[in-house]
Amino acid sequence: MSDAASRAGQHRAAAAPLKTHAGAAPAVPGRWDRLRYPAISVLSVTTLLTLWAVIANVFHTSPMVLPSPQVMVEHLRDMLAEGYAGKPLWDHILASLLRTLIGFFLGIGVAIPIGLWIGYSRTMNAVCMPILGFIRPIPPIAFIPLVILYFGIGEVSKILLIFAASFNFTVLASAAGMRSVPEQLIRAGINLGLSKRQLFTSVMLPAAMPQIFTGIKTSIAVSWAVVVAAELIAAQAGLGFIIEDAGTFFRTPEVLIGVGIIGAIGLLFEIIVTMIERRVLHWQGKA
Amino acid sequence: MGKIWVDGVSKLFPDRSGGAVRALDEVHLSIEEGEIVCLVGPSGCGKSTLLNLLAGFDVPSTGRILMDDAVLAGAGPDRSVVFQSPSLFPWMTVLENVTFGPRKRGVPRDEYDPESHRMLRAVGLSNFFHHYPYELSGGMRQRVQIARALVNRPQVLLMDEPFAALDFQNRLAMQELLLQLWEQVRSTIFFITHDVEEAIFLGDRVHVMTASPGRIKATIEVPFAKPRAIEVVTTPGFVELKEQVLRLIRDEFARSDRAAAERQAGRMA
Repeated sequence: MSDAASRAGQHRAAAAPLKTHAGAAPAVPGRWDRLRYPAISVLSVTTLLTLWAVIANVFHTSPMVLPSPQVMVEHLRDMLAEGYAGKPLWDHILASLLRTLIGFFLGIGVAIPIGLWIGYSRTMNAVCMPILGFIRPIPPIAFIPLVILYFGIGEVSKILLIFAASFNFTVLASAAGMRSVPEQLIRAGINLGLSKRQLFTSVMLPAAMPQIFTGIKTSIAVSWAVVVAAELIAAQAGLGFIIEDAGTFFRTPEVLIGVGIIGAIGLLFEIIVTMIERRVLHWQGKA
Repeated sequence: MGKIWVDGVSKLFPDRSGGAVRALDEVHLSIEEGEIVCLVGPSGCGKSTLLNLLAGFDVPSTGRILMDDAVLAGAGPDRSVVFQSPSLFPWMTVLENVTFGPRKRGVPRDEYDPESHRMLRAVGLSNFFHHYPYELSGGMRQRVQIARALVNRPQVLLMDEPFAALDFQNRLAMQELLLQLWEQVRSTIFFITHDVEEAIFLGDRVHVMTASPGRIKATIEVPFAKPRAIEVVTTPGFVELKEQVLRLIRDEFARSDRAAAERQAGRMA
């Protein structure tokens, strides 16, 4: 049963006494009940799009301010056919994706072991936490000038920024996950005769997984935000470059297309991570 | 095998003001091989502290604990624990939970597999091998815990209020199940509870514990022959024993209340 459906079920359960009081037959879950909330969502989005189309076409707004949907489709077709700034649209998307994924995977790859170590060892915790605690509230983009100063405006700088951002969130989440492993599970493992190493890999690590995943989820979202920010400043390709470049020339449709693609890919990331999470951590949050 | 001797064991924990709280004070206790010993007492009297020492999760401050004439060294599957709170691994199925210990200790599969199946059948979970703990009721989860403990063929089964969180019907069913299982495995059982009726129904002997500091106040021999059925709890002999234990606990409450009042008065003066 989907979340929406179970929520609908609860809703009905709450309303049931009123219905029986009125002498009606108890409600049987029907197709409408299951589709009610998804349908409302579809309606909401359609309304927004319609409103946009109506406003743009009735008031003949300038494409620089609010391009109409038809204009947007035209520009998108052009971009797909001719690319942007001499490069196919795909190359821009790939450029951003590649930077993000390299930085993100490097970041979580380094952050998870270190985070687990911090959560495991009080000494390691004492060494690292003051530093990480100070860095955490600093927005990653605040480091852009420094990174450019040290590493120039090439790929290394951008990947490093993304690395730092994803490392930051995942390391703290992994440490917190390790620290919050229920004492009872550790004792159960010890009692079953596990070695220290087995205890770590087979009990503490899986028990810390839910929090590690929370860190990964935050990291991918932040990484994606940082890549766009980094490309705004200095890049020859990428979605951030498109919106920055198009913005300079008041090419609003291209800016909006770039923003739209950034949003869609961000959403896609979240959907993928959530799907993996549901599969791997199906047991999570169920008492 | 499975004979335990607790010899003058005290356990102190540091408190907030830099002093020490005496959780256990000069506890002497002997548990015979294959015996079911119950420990009753008010919450906070150090019952779980004693169990943690027996399990090897912690070491005595003074005194020593011997098992089969050797001083206990660390925790291990020869003393399997059944915990009160959820301690099944939530990411493993019922069968994976039960086979986890032997698998990790390198027991061959053709040894632990049939044994795990047999144990799960014995606790009445034949149809739940591949369920996850979150799909089970509280009583079923405790059954899995018992199977997970017994599959290690422990010499001693340590049980820390394992049925306290269950509803009345489930608790009765589990008590009877435990006695049935004991008939098969005959391991020593050390059972902590605050339920006097449960203690007398299960135990060959019942130790009553006092609070702050934790001491064994009295030991009551339970004369009813095993196997026992639940009907025994309404017999006059049972009721008489229950009265006796309840009186001991009530006295203990009165004493600790008085002691607390005196401490309070002392602080005020």
